[in-house]
Amino acid sequence: MKIRAIELTNIRRFAGRSARIEGIGDGITVLSEPNEFGKSTFFDALHALFFERHRGTRQTVKALQPHAGGAPEAAIEIDLPQGSYRIEKRWLSRPTARVLDGNGRIVAQDDEAEAWIDRLLGDGLAGPSGLLWVRQGLLGLEPEGTNANDKNERERGLGARRDLLSSVAGEIELMTGGRRLDAVLARVAEELGRLATTTLKPKAGAEWARAVDEAATLRDQEADLAGKAAGLSGDLARRTEVLRQLKQLDDPETERLRNDALTQAREAQRAALAHAEKLAEARQKLRLAELTVQATQTGIGQLEQLSDRLGRAEAELSQARDRLAKAETGAEEAAAADRLAADALGAASGQAQAIRARLDAAQRALLGRAARERATQLRKTLERAEELQRKRDQDRAQRELTAVNSASVTRAESARETRDRIAAQLEAQSVSVAIRYDGALRISADGEDIPEGSLRLSSARSFLLPGIGTMRVDPGAGAAEGLAEALTRANAELTARLAECGAATVAEARQRLAETQRLDQAMQASAALLAELAPQGLDTLRQELARAEAGAGRAEEPVEDPAGLEAALAAALAAEAEARAQSGAVHARAVTASEGRAVARSTAQVAQAAAEAARIDAGDLGQLARRLHGLRADLVLQTGLQTEAVALCQTLEAAAPDLETVQARLARAESVVTQAQQGRERLRGEYATLNGSIGALAEQGIEERLDEVRGKLTAAEARAARYAAEVQALSRLRSALEDARRKARDAYFAPVLRELEPLLSVLHPGAAMQIDDQSLLPVALTRNGQQESLDILSGGTREQIAILTRLAFARLYAHAGQSVPVILDDALVHSDDDRIEAMFTALHRVAKDQQIIVLTCRQRAFAALGGTRATAVISAI
Amino acid sequence: MTLRFIHSSDLHLGKSFGAYPEAIRNRLREARHGSIARLAQAARQGGATTVLLAGDTFDAETPAPDTLRHALRAMAAEHDITWHMLPGNHDSLAASELWRRIAADGPANLRAVTTPEPIEFLPGAMLLPAPCTQRRPGRDLTEAMDAPTPAGMRRIGLGHGAVTDFSAEEGTAGIIPPDRAAISGLDYLALGDWHGRLQVGPATWYSGAPEADGFKHAMTAGALLVSPGAAVQVVETGQFIWQTLALDVLPGDDPVQQLSQALPDPTLRRDRLLRLVATGRLPLQQRAALDAHAALIGPDFGWFDHDLHGLATETRPDDLDLIDRAGALRQAAEALLSEAGDDSRTSAEREISSAALARLYAFAQENGK
Repeated sequence: MKIRAIELTNIRRFAGRSARIEGIGDGITVLSEPNEFGKSTFFDALHALFFERHRGTRQTVKALQPHAGGAPEAAIEIDLPQGSYRIEKRWLSRPTARVLDGNGRIVAQDDEAEAWIDRLLGDGLAGPSGLLWVRQGLLGLEPEGTNANDKNERERGLGARRDLLSSVAGEIELMTGGRRLDAVLARVAEELGRLATTTLKPKAGAEWARAVDEAATLRDQEADLAGKAAGLSGDLARRTEVLRQLKQLDDPETERLRNDALTQAREAQRAALAHAEKLAEARQKLRLAELTVQATQTGIGQLEQLSDRLGRAEAELSQARDRLAKAETGAEEAAAADRLAADALGAASGQAQAIRARLDAAQRALLGRAARERATQLRKTLERAEELQRKRDQDRAQRELTAVNSASVTRAESARETRDRIAAQLEAQSVSVAIRYDGALRISADGEDIPEGSLRLSSARSFLLPGIGTMRVDPGAGAAEGLAEALTRANAELTARLAECGAATVAEARQRLAETQRLDQAMQASAALLAELAPQGLDTLRQELARAEAGAGRAEEPVEDPAGLEAALAAALAAEAEARAQSGAVHARAVTASEGRAVARSTAQVAQAAAEAARIDAGDLGQLARRLHGLRADLVLQTGLQTEAVALCQTLEAAAPDLETVQARLARAESVVTQAQQGRERLRGEYATLNGSIGALAEQGIEERLDEVRGKLTAAEARAARYAAEVQALSRLRSALEDARRKARDAYFAPVLRELEPLLSVLHPGAAMQIDDQSLLPVALTRNGQQESLDILSGGTREQIAILTRLAFARLYAHAGQSVPVILDDALVHSDDDRIEAMFTALHRVAKDQQIIVLTCRQRAFAALGGTRATAVISAI
Repeated sequence: MTLRFIHSSDLHLGKSFGAYPEAIRNRLREARHGSIARLAQAARQGGATTVLLAGDTFDAETPAPDTLRHALRAMAAEHDITWHMLPGNHDSLAASELWRRIAADGPANLRAVTTPEPIEFLPGAMLLPAPCTQRRPGRDLTEAMDAPTPAGMRRIGLGHGAVTDFSAEEGTAGIIPPDRAAISGLDYLALGDWHGRLQVGPATWYSGAPEADGFKHAMTAGALLVSPGAAVQVVETGQFIWQTLALDVLPGDDPVQQLSQALPDPTLRRDRLLRLVATGRLPLQQRAALDAHAALIGPDFGWFDHDLHGLATETRPDDLDLIDRAGALRQAAEALLSEAGDDSRTSAEREISSAALARLYAFAQENGK
């Protein structure tokens, strides 16, 4: 269908007139007129012509009526493949609808005309208007209002899209499975939800989880029971073994063998011990024989030695006697010479000793004199020091009595100055009263008579004037009272400060301070002098004096000259030394001679004793020879006995059993018997224990329970496996369904996208659209890998997508053999210059085989669109 | 006097059946206990006074006190019957506590055969037992059956263990030679261990358990009435029937009808444990129908389980039409179907996809077309 002309009569602003647009071409036709021309009126009238029945009275119809009233009329001239037609409709008053062919013949009228229009629009399609018409300012893909018109428009648009897509791609229900697939998916989800979590894990409390949990519990029980069963089996086997061992131990033949072995071992031990005793006895006899032979041999040796010793002693005695005689003579001669030399030495020594005594006496006298002089000096120093000490002590005592410091005196002086200042102030404020009596009467105050003279009053005072009355003298109210009190306090302060100084007056305090300072200086001077005289103290000085006095001794004067005595002593000592040397040499020789004599005497005595002892030991020489002969005969006999003893020992040793082996054998035999007894006791105890544990476990029927648990476990595991398989199957079914539906949707929308995406790429290269399978309209735009919902896009972009979508659907119509025009009423109002240029390009891309009618008031902006320019002709009816 | 006795084994008293729900578990345990009385009754009806229990009378080495006491009391109650109880691998002599208690508390008509010495258990008949010493003795205990017996006496062997190693390679130590009866000159060898009834040789039998305890043996549980020289008679003693129902179906079959025809009469289902194992291929609709019918009939039985893992889903375009003719549902179904038949995927993945497709079908049916 292509529109060639539109004609309105008595519609809205065209009341009483007709408006006709002509010259509408195949591609783009632009009707560019200023605002208020009535472009939207054309749009609405055209819409009503297609979709409002001629008998309709809905608001959309009434809205066409001009204010002046009358019946609105609209007509359209179209080209169809079968020819040209004119469609007319009149509403409200004498409504009518007509379809005329190119020759002006009525093809259909009224309801038949409406049916003709329906076929034109429908013919399997529910109507293109909602899909292809873009109203003024429309941003979205479809009307978004909630009124009935918008709803109808949406429903009509959806129906049109559904019909269109069904015609080019098939029924969406058929493609995606629709509600049936939803229901199946819901059942899958229900079954899965009954068994599993969203991550396909067993769902707590559900059958699968219960089977898994039961299997886990049974597995634990199975392990526990298997352990007990194994223990029971082990106990049973052990008890059998224990019984076998007990039976073996209790076997009489085995026990007899054990006892026989023990008896034999004990007998062998007794025999071995007896043999050992015999051997020990033989060894003892052999030892005795050996000792006897050895003793005889020793005796023979001793007798032979004795004979030799006697001969040697006699010879040595003779030689000793000769050497003694010679020594006696030499010793007597040396002793005589020694005596002479000793006498000479005694004389020289006496001379020297006498001179030394005289020299000592002279030196002692000189030392005593020096000591007495030292004592005198020390005594004087001590007396002086002691005097200084006493004086310092006195000064210290005085200093303690007059102790006052300069600060106390300064405070006392300050207190006195304060007191004097207050007293002066008080004096300045006092009055002077002069009294002179002429008679006997006297003035009294406070009960006392006031003598004549001058009286100063610093405070108010009352006087009794006898016979006259009382006179009160007041030096001034108030001021003096404060000063008097201050004076009292100052006096008290002064008294206290003077007391600190131990003085009655400030002058006295000052004197005491001077005295104190003087005493300090005196003590310092005494201390310095004492330190000079007795640096180590008086006691040390006194001790030095005592030592000096002790060394002085008694007063003696020297009698000889020490120097002369020292020379004489030296000569005497030299003489004495020479005598001593000579005497020493002589004496040494005398001593040597004496010692040689003593040695000779001793040697002679020893030789004498040895000769006598040898004689005694040897006795009679004949007897000695007999004894030696006898011993040699005994030795022959004893050697024979020793040989016999050796042979006996060797025989016994060769036949002796190994006692350690015999004892080991006995120990083993005893151990076997003992072990048998202990083993029997141990096994009986173990048997009793095993009986207890076996009985306890047997009472529990462990194996039956284990078998039962294993059976249950097998069933639970099988059940869990079945549920797992069920979940796997359901999961696989779900993914298969979702995958199939996704593919179906892709296939369903493929024609739309195929038309839309080239147009979209004019504005947004590389962009893609996502289409909602409910509204069958784009819902999201993907640019640069990022998907954006249409709701968040700018108004301009949304408007552009709305137009491009209509263009795409229009091309689909064309492919379906239903070429329908696209009508844009003041569209692209939100697009910027660049985008509008791009949109014009897109429109031209479609306009090659698509009629597009553009109504616009933007003459300059749409000048760049190109296309055919249509004109509107307005004429009176 | 004719030598006659009942040969039974593997009562497994005290078996817990823990893998089964509580209600059927208790019934199964009680049925095992009841087998004592049924064995006694079988003996009486067969004219026998002796029951040989060839091992595994108890399921555990140390059965629960009540299990043991109830069993001993039940045997005592059958005072006209003499029970010869041989240790098996489950209740071997290593279970000394069990045999100590039996010795202490067992009734006079119960003889615990705990040594391999031959005993005259019936007039003119010697019993040559081979009690299990351990759970896995590791040697052929039946060698003891070579022991001599007085001339003219019948020789009846009583043993427990495998003649054929059903679980391991051949030649495993401890296997009873199949010709033990001939080797040891036995008139009859009564064996236990195999829970199904099995004749090993002319005079060698496994009696099987008197009460079935699993789906392994597709036969009615019972005992053997033995009279050497005569044919061995099978005496049914089982209360419960364990049945595995294999249903092999193909497209075009009506699986529900087939199942209904294969099922026992509803009045016989309470004492039956039935495991339905479906194999073959079915379209989605028939599979769902079979699944639903199985769920419907399940409560009829003492226990019921249906395993459809072996049942492939054969899906044709028409079948997917039942989900949807086009659109996403159809696309999802086709994707799952493709995965279910994709050999490059693991079997687990294929099973998941197949199950997902089945769920899709069920959910789609709930929501109509």
